[in-house]
Amino acid sequence: MAAKKRIKGRTMFQETWHRLLKNKGAVIGMAFLALLVVVAVISPFVFDYETDVIGQNLAMKLQAPNSEHWFGTDEYGRDLFARVMYGARYSLAIGVGSVGFGLIVGTILGSIAGFYGGKADDIIMRGIDIFYSIPNILKAVVIVSLLGTSTINLIIALAISCATNYARIVRASVMTVRDLEYVESSYAMGLPTWKIILRHILPNCLSPIIVQTTLLIGTTIISASSLSFLGIGVPAPAPEWGALLSGGRAHIRGASYICVIPGLAIMFTVLALNLLGDGLRDALDPKLKK
Amino acid sequence: MLKYVVNRLLSLIPVILVTSFMIYWAMSLTEGDPAMMIAGDGASQEMIEQIRHDLGLDQPFLLQYFNYMKGMLVGDMGKSYVTNKDVFATFFQYLPNTLYLGGSAVIIATIVSIPLGIYTAIHQNTWKDTAGMVFALFGTSMPNFWLGLMLIIIFALHLRLFPTGGNFGWKSLVLPAVTVGFGLAALITRITRSSMLDVMRQDYMTTARAKGCSEKRVIYKHGLKNALIPIITAIGLQMSLVITGSVLAETVFSWPGIGRLVYESITRRDIPMVTGSIILCSILMCIINLIVDLVYAFFDPRIKAQYSKKG
Amino acid sequence: MKKLLVFLMAALMIAAMAVAGCGGGEKKADNAAGGGVAHKEKLVIGTDADINNLNLQKQQDAANNVILKNTHQTLVFFNNGSQGKERFVPGLATDWKFVDDTHIIMNLRKDVYFNDGKKTPMTADDVKFTLDMAMKNVIKSALAGFVKCTVKDKHQIEIEISSYNNEFIQSLSSVPLSIQSKKAYDDGVKEPWLIGTGPYKFDKWVQGEYCRLNKVKDYWGNSLPATENFAPGVSDVIEFRPMIEASARVMALQAGEIDVCVNPPISDLKFLQDDKKVTVYEQPGTRLFYFAFNVEKKPWDNQKLRQAVACAIDKKSVLDAALNGKGTLQKTILNRGLWGFYDEMPGYDFNLERAKQLMKESGVTGPIKTTLTYATGAPYEQIATVIQANLAKIGITVDLVPMEQAALKAACKDGKQNLFLWRWNEDSKVDFVYRDLFYTGSGSNYHHFADAKADKMIDDVATLKDQKQRMETGIELQKYLVDQCPQVPLYIANLVIAYNKDLKGEYFYGGGNHDWRHAYIAK
Repeated sequence: MAAKKRIKGRTMFQETWHRLLKNKGAVIGMAFLALLVVVAVISPFVFDYETDVIGQNLAMKLQAPNSEHWFGTDEYGRDLFARVMYGARYSLAIGVGSVGFGLIVGTILGSIAGFYGGKADDIIMRGIDIFYSIPNILKAVVIVSLLGTSTINLIIALAISCATNYARIVRASVMTVRDLEYVESSYAMGLPTWKIILRHILPNCLSPIIVQTTLLIGTTIISASSLSFLGIGVPAPAPEWGALLSGGRAHIRGASYICVIPGLAIMFTVLALNLLGDGLRDALDPKLKK
Repeated sequence: MLKYVVNRLLSLIPVILVTSFMIYWAMSLTEGDPAMMIAGDGASQEMIEQIRHDLGLDQPFLLQYFNYMKGMLVGDMGKSYVTNKDVFATFFQYLPNTLYLGGSAVIIATIVSIPLGIYTAIHQNTWKDTAGMVFALFGTSMPNFWLGLMLIIIFALHLRLFPTGGNFGWKSLVLPAVTVGFGLAALITRITRSSMLDVMRQDYMTTARAKGCSEKRVIYKHGLKNALIPIITAIGLQMSLVITGSVLAETVFSWPGIGRLVYESITRRDIPMVTGSIILCSILMCIINLIVDLVYAFFDPRIKAQYSKKG
Repeated sequence: MKKLLVFLMAALMIAAMAVAGCGGGEKKADNAAGGGVAHKEKLVIGTDADINNLNLQKQQDAANNVILKNTHQTLVFFNNGSQGKERFVPGLATDWKFVDDTHIIMNLRKDVYFNDGKKTPMTADDVKFTLDMAMKNVIKSALAGFVKCTVKDKHQIEIEISSYNNEFIQSLSSVPLSIQSKKAYDDGVKEPWLIGTGPYKFDKWVQGEYCRLNKVKDYWGNSLPATENFAPGVSDVIEFRPMIEASARVMALQAGEIDVCVNPPISDLKFLQDDKKVTVYEQPGTRLFYFAFNVEKKPWDNQKLRQAVACAIDKKSVLDAALNGKGTLQKTILNRGLWGFYDEMPGYDFNLERAKQLMKESGVTGPIKTTLTYATGAPYEQIATVIQANLAKIGITVDLVPMEQAALKAACKDGKQNLFLWRWNEDSKVDFVYRDLFYTGSGSNYHHFADAKADKMIDDVATLKDQKQRMETGIELQKYLVDQCPQVPLYIANLVIAYNKDLKGEYFYGGGNHDWRHAYIAK
């Protein structure tokens, strides 16, 4: 009896993961993000919120980075290192939360508009245009008036902007792919529309979606800082990175590190996300299957 | 095709109706009384009531909206509560400034981003790629106001090459346009890069090379042209953003743009100014989106076919 | 090159004076200030707020009034008291007298005319017209008590008020009440409110960019000596540029684009102090920042608890965080520099032990959770952050609720807030402060403080004629209000301003509404 060689089949997930790991950039990105998540999780245990993060000591204020305060101190004498580390919790939650919500809602809307075209496209896109033309400030002001100030409302306000971005991008990609032959044949085969969209069309839109996501998380965190000016936002003294940025605005010339360091934190996060995003895109690309 | 354009322009009407209603409704929901803002500190209750009556704020919301729309029909968008000047005229006073700023910013961003995106795509996964990426990402990670103030410190204060702000000639446009443009550049660069990467792996690229085309021709004629749709979408998105979204840059450089106008009108609860400006902005954005959609058609015959079919 | 220009200018001026002198019997040539001093043609002032309305009586913004002060003039003039002299002096009115409790006779200058190109003289009709018009506009609130104005003579009017009021005359010094030209309105001139009697007139206003004023060549007061208040201006052009971003404004000054930078941020002062081309000027101000309670809401209706909170606030740290110490700590509720200012009551200074003691006495037990409402931005953000930490030390948990200004005002008026931060800037009208902030039912009384005893004292200060009695009542009122503690006054911010070191003729007010009429950049 011939020994049947067992060919271990890999699921798509395992295949993708395997290819991802081969990409140096993606690995670095993943490592940084993992580190960030770890920092976010253990911060409450390493730093005592009352003394380290929000404890004021005006005698020590506005010190440039030194051996005692690695990132320096802010205008109330609070240690910037502790605040930036602790702030990772808020910023990640806000960034991922808003973008995540926006992604889901925007993709649904964009797919419908792009796939069906016609009346549905008109209504959805004009609706999005209207929403888009209402400046973020007004949306924020209305949300604050109706729902009050809180982190959840901040996420809602930001998610709405994200959703409009995604809808446009997804619609454009769907429109290019929609009339291709393999889509028509899936249709002919009787696959339900949502399955067609999910399995055949969306994977082709993955590139712009991934790029948009990796960038949007960064801009969302920064938007949070300008929204805090309108009374929406994580309430002080929480060390959310966006709040740190707007707090540093008055000291840009005198103590620029207050602004620069959180900005660098955001930049490295976005960089890591981009490296990971690129790796993901390459790993998922069927054309690269060797 | 022409039918498509006409249809899109006609669809502006429901957009205007819905937008104006939503703005009016939104402003009526917000906390804060325009009469109180006009009357200032120390005004008596009866003075505030007087102002409310003069402005028609004591009428029911729907009646106010109806009166407003009646005025719109004859082209009268009302007078600002704060300055008492005609809303339409004020908007058109600020509009050219915004168009200059937005237009230059998008042009600067595009000129920098597309080549940078192509370059990083070609040199994918090398240090050149990462360096290019860091440069592009910088604009999106550092806040606008930081970049703006840094540019002022270096180029206006120390080097005295440009003014620190205001609207005095083309020199005043440079620093704000670079500030805003840098923020836009990141998305366009990244999308160009990933779009080019997608396209470069297509079979027709290999075919073109096999045919003996020069690498340059392969990239630009066969590659870029097909990669353009997502890139154009990104550019179009950014263009709409700069109209009301450059508030921070406009504040830092004291640039008299619409973003600042709308922001200040909202904080002062200047309802006619807010409503009028946003309606005009949304018309502007619809036109920009229409142009973007038409540009798609120019580059992608498949989409052109779709428009003609729909019409 | 510069030297040559100065030489040429001097030569020209001497020649001009010689020619004018030869005219014989004519008025003397340009007075000393305008003609003899070498100055830059343009004076550029960078302000921190947009100008929004130049129609005097329909607005009350300081940003607009700073400009209108140059182009228009008032009946009574209010000086900055730095010479220690009487602060309310004759302006366009030469003198006034109370003939009885409710009637005032006022005489007007005879040599004033409007800058309408036709030298239309200013008469009592214009004054009556202006005051009557004011009663129909927003500015009515500044003319509290006014009943009517009667024209007695070409240059004499009689004003009737509803009841005797110590500060009525002073209210006539308010810039929005500047005298306007009746003829301009009657003739249907476009924007008639722009025509004034001042040494400057409007050249151009581009909203959001700049507002430019030109010196009036045939100004009615051209022959007045430079020491007089209504003397002509020096600079040929004054331009106001709103530059909202403070750091950018400072840099514009350093780059020489503007000559004056108002309110430079404290954190940038060191750059200005190091800059050889710039002078930084500081003096005590009048702008009061306070922390207050909504005394209608529990548990803030408890007086002892309020006093406890007052003792828990570390005012020095608050001032340090907000302005790097550039201000004066404050005990009383009256703005520094106002008539009758009294700051020597024992008050409630920072003392944690006393705070805890008072808390015990108040009878309020258990941890307290509350909210502190304030307008976003500096310095409220800094003040709130420090106070939040202060109150935590006596067991009060404070949630910070920042809001836009419009929302803040609406919320406070409706009494929805618990604790709040606000400011009050006043440099002349005492009654205004007491009445608006503390009188029962007043619109700006965000504390919702309603106390009959305080109300009586406020009315007395306004109407008592015996100045000694008035002063005593004022002191008692301040002591009472500090004790009742509807608010905890925190500090008075210093006036800080930076300008071109060659600036001359400037005239600063502690409250920030400076007078630029005689300012110029010397060459």
